[in-house]
Amino acid sequence: MATVNDFTPKEQPQWCPGCGNFGIMLALRNALVKVGAETHNTVVVSGVGCSGKDAHYVRTYGYEGLHGRALPLATGIKLANSRLRVIAMGGDGDGYGIGLNHFVQTCRRNIGLTYIVHDNAIYGLTTGQTSPTSMKGMKTKSTPHGVLEEPIHPLALAITSDATFVARTYTGNIPHMIEVFTQALAHKGFALVDVLQICPSWNKVNTPEWFKTRIYDLNKEGHDVADKIKAYEKALEDVHSGYERVPIGIFYKVDKPTYEDGLPQRKEKEVFEHDISAINMEKTLAKFI
Amino acid sequence: MTEFVWKIGGEAGFGVMGAGILFGKVFTRTGHYAFIYPEYPSLIKGGLNTTQVRVGDAPVNAPSKTYDLLVALNKFTVEACKDEARTGGSIIYDGKNTDLTGINVREDIQLYNIPLLEIAQNAGGDMLMRNTVAMGASLALVGYTLDQLDVMIHEIFGRKGEDVVKINMDAAKGGYDYVKAHYDAGKFPIKLEKRRMRESKFVLTGNEAIGAGAIQAGLKFFASYPMTPASSILHYIAAHEYDHNIIVKHAEDEIASMNMVVGASYAGARSMCCTSGGGFALKSEALGLAALAETPVVVVLSQRTGPSTGMPTWTEQADLRFAMHASQGDFLRVILAPGDVTEAYMHTQRAFNIAEKYQIPVIILSDKFLSESAATTDSSDYKPLPIERGKMITQHMQPLPQGGRFKRYEFTEDGVSPRPIPGVIGGEHVATSYEHWENGFSTEHFETRKKMVDKRARKINFMANDLIPPTLYGPKGAKLTLVCWGSHKAPVFEAVDILKKEGVKVNALHFSCVHPLHPLAYELLLKYRKRLVIVENNSTAQFGGYLKEKVGVQFIGSILRYDARPLFPEDVAEHAKAILEGREKDAVVYDRTPVEYYTARIIDTKEAGKGLDKPLGESKHTIEVI
Ligand SMILES: Cc1ncc(C[n+]2csc(CCOP(=O)(O)OP(=O)(O)O)c2C)c(N)n1
Ligand SMILES: [Mg+2]
Repeated sequence: MATVNDFTPKEQPQWCPGCGNFGIMLALRNALVKVGAETHNTVVVSGVGCSGKDAHYVRTYGYEGLHGRALPLATGIKLANSRLRVIAMGGDGDGYGIGLNHFVQTCRRNIGLTYIVHDNAIYGLTTGQTSPTSMKGMKTKSTPHGVLEEPIHPLALAITSDATFVARTYTGNIPHMIEVFTQALAHKGFALVDVLQICPSWNKVNTPEWFKTRIYDLNKEGHDVADKIKAYEKALEDVHSGYERVPIGIFYKVDKPTYEDGLPQRKEKEVFEHDISAINMEKTLAKFI
Repeated sequence: MTEFVWKIGGEAGFGVMGAGILFGKVFTRTGHYAFIYPEYPSLIKGGLNTTQVRVGDAPVNAPSKTYDLLVALNKFTVEACKDEARTGGSIIYDGKNTDLTGINVREDIQLYNIPLLEIAQNAGGDMLMRNTVAMGASLALVGYTLDQLDVMIHEIFGRKGEDVVKINMDAAKGGYDYVKAHYDAGKFPIKLEKRRMRESKFVLTGNEAIGAGAIQAGLKFFASYPMTPASSILHYIAAHEYDHNIIVKHAEDEIASMNMVVGASYAGARSMCCTSGGGFALKSEALGLAALAETPVVVVLSQRTGPSTGMPTWTEQADLRFAMHASQGDFLRVILAPGDVTEAYMHTQRAFNIAEKYQIPVIILSDKFLSESAATTDSSDYKPLPIERGKMITQHMQPLPQGGRFKRYEFTEDGVSPRPIPGVIGGEHVATSYEHWENGFSTEHFETRKKMVDKRARKINFMANDLIPPTLYGPKGAKLTLVCWGSHKAPVFEAVDILKKEGVKVNALHFSCVHPLHPLAYELLLKYRKRLVIVENNSTAQFGGYLKEKVGVQFIGSILRYDARPLFPEDVAEHAKAILEGREKDAVVYDRTPVEYYTARIIDTKEAGKGLDKPLGESKHTIEVI
């Protein structure tokens, strides 16, 4: 059995002091141990952003791809070898901005990926511009006079896009993160975990103090994770309550066949495992006669 | 070569393309060669679709500017195509439904007025079966029997039941008998005979050859987004996904498809995607990702007329520089541009070997002309190439020490590093879009950066045996060398033949590996440097410019075409001669047909719908596609 040390590389992460990414990284290593993951059978895929560095700091196989493109990259890996445990990581700009199309499509595809979004409501790596989840009115470098748009509601979007596991956690609560990640990793199908993340350098609105009085665990209030409509309501509660109450926990979960289940091509073995040294084309080419 | 050029034209939706393949196969199965060349506008219904079937007793890979026999399914086809008839050529039309008054048909042209619709209806068919009637009539004219067509009809419609087969056979026979009864078929100037075949032949399009070549090469993952003229590769491979255990994903866009392909290849599956220029633009970023992370990928770029949406169903060779330079930064890539259907099959296999051996992106550069034209080819030319996967590691290794990483980007002599795939114990590493150390971890260390650039670049020095030398074609003592690439092999080689017959000695040099150049390319270009003429299907001689830069040669002239159609052999021959004789220097070929006949012409709905059970509707056939 792999231990947390096995998932820990020699290199030290270089995020800003107080960055929520440290917690996400530690929680993920712990959750991987809890689900019995192995370093060689796990792939951490990421986009580009401060968040993208997780592919470096969780010592498994990893691929830090392009800004916004973690999901299709992870999808390709998973489809070629669905025995791999594939975790996609990205920022809020990455996943809900430039990569939003992939997000919606991957939800409805229900492919066996765990998607962890580092949602700090800001573009961190590019030094503090507005993100799709920035609150209306928020002043950032690119919106010095305040954001004019409504924020994206990622959980609601995931639920309407038929994601089969939708959860939210918070970097200020590491045990909760470990618990939610563990459940997400154990889920068969696509699992979204939106992580409310502190960005001490650029997001001066959603600070630990801001979260402290607002966050609550909806699973402790008897939320029924099988109730899609309720889940949808809860997914909008933060905005609807004027940010009085910000729920975290598992919002929605359902068991459904995955995308991979619909592929007889990989029933016998994974497609990458087929011997390709002597492919018989006789029948295929005969159609051209 | 004795040849027979048949052309069929009608509005889109009337099965003109399918008829071409069918007719070409009839002759292929009876010992001839055929080249099947479709032209159509970007419309689902309406417009003018034509398919030319050029039949010969030797391999043909180019269309002809003229035809012997035209089947005109409507008036407009006659109007648009009448002047392409050879001297003494013929036109079949349906006088009961097509009124030719007001159309000036040359006197040497023989008109065959055949009631195509009536015969089709008498057989139990409809408007769509006029093709079959016309094929029967055409076979009667060239002195053929109907048996091979009947066999094909059985094969195609057998699954739909005996009635359907019978209706089609009766339609063909109706056309055949009508000619025999009303015309002296003996007077038709061309007679074809069945020939003995030494081996079986294949009729396939460039895109089918690319698809089949990829399957032969062990393609296991394919993700694409539809875009003419690449879409039929997606369709072909998707149709075979179960037969050959390939995962085919119609992705949400080209960005996704390219990133999926990178992912699947990283995980050890041979992976490919296909697109045209617009989609390639979206793929560019991930092309660079594959280059930096050294993940092998194969991308098919089938060019169409640009820039932007351009003319979606027409052809051009104007994305060469785009393919060469797409994505930021300096990096090595290989671009293969097959010259014909067989090369498309073989080079696609090569593309996978090169991609995996050198861990680089390989682009297969086709275009509408090659992708959608079909040719009769010898089945023995379709050989499997040995699979070479380079330094891919699939066997477990020693576990790494705790916290350690595998040196995925180890500096090696040939620049290629060992590549374990996920799942392999001891191979744990990170691949990244950032510059990195040998173990993959990202870095901004200047010296390492420089060494990594050199490592990736020096692969080129070990590649010569995998690149393809140019093909030299033509007589000794040639006075002019025509330089061409990709799809324009046959039109240029045939021009050499035409000129040879006239006693004009010209040769040609064709490149199917356009970047990087094979060492022999330098040698041959320098040998013929005093009399090079560049022939390309674009407006700026993109390949010519590249050769000037790389080899230092100059061209004494150029033959270019960029009106959205390919160069025809006759045009190349004519202008090569003019350049040789000093009458011309830089020739531009374009179609001067006065009628804007192919593009977006709306055919009268009433006329088009005549005889159909279901009228074509009120859309006026202008549903834009592509
Ligand atoms: C195509 C492209 N556009 C822009 C960038 C620059 N860029 C890098 S990260 C980033 C945004 C980061 O924000 P987010 O995804 O929220 O991640 P964070 O840094 O906050 O974790 C941008 C715009 C890029 N790398 N690629
Ligand atoms: Mg962010």
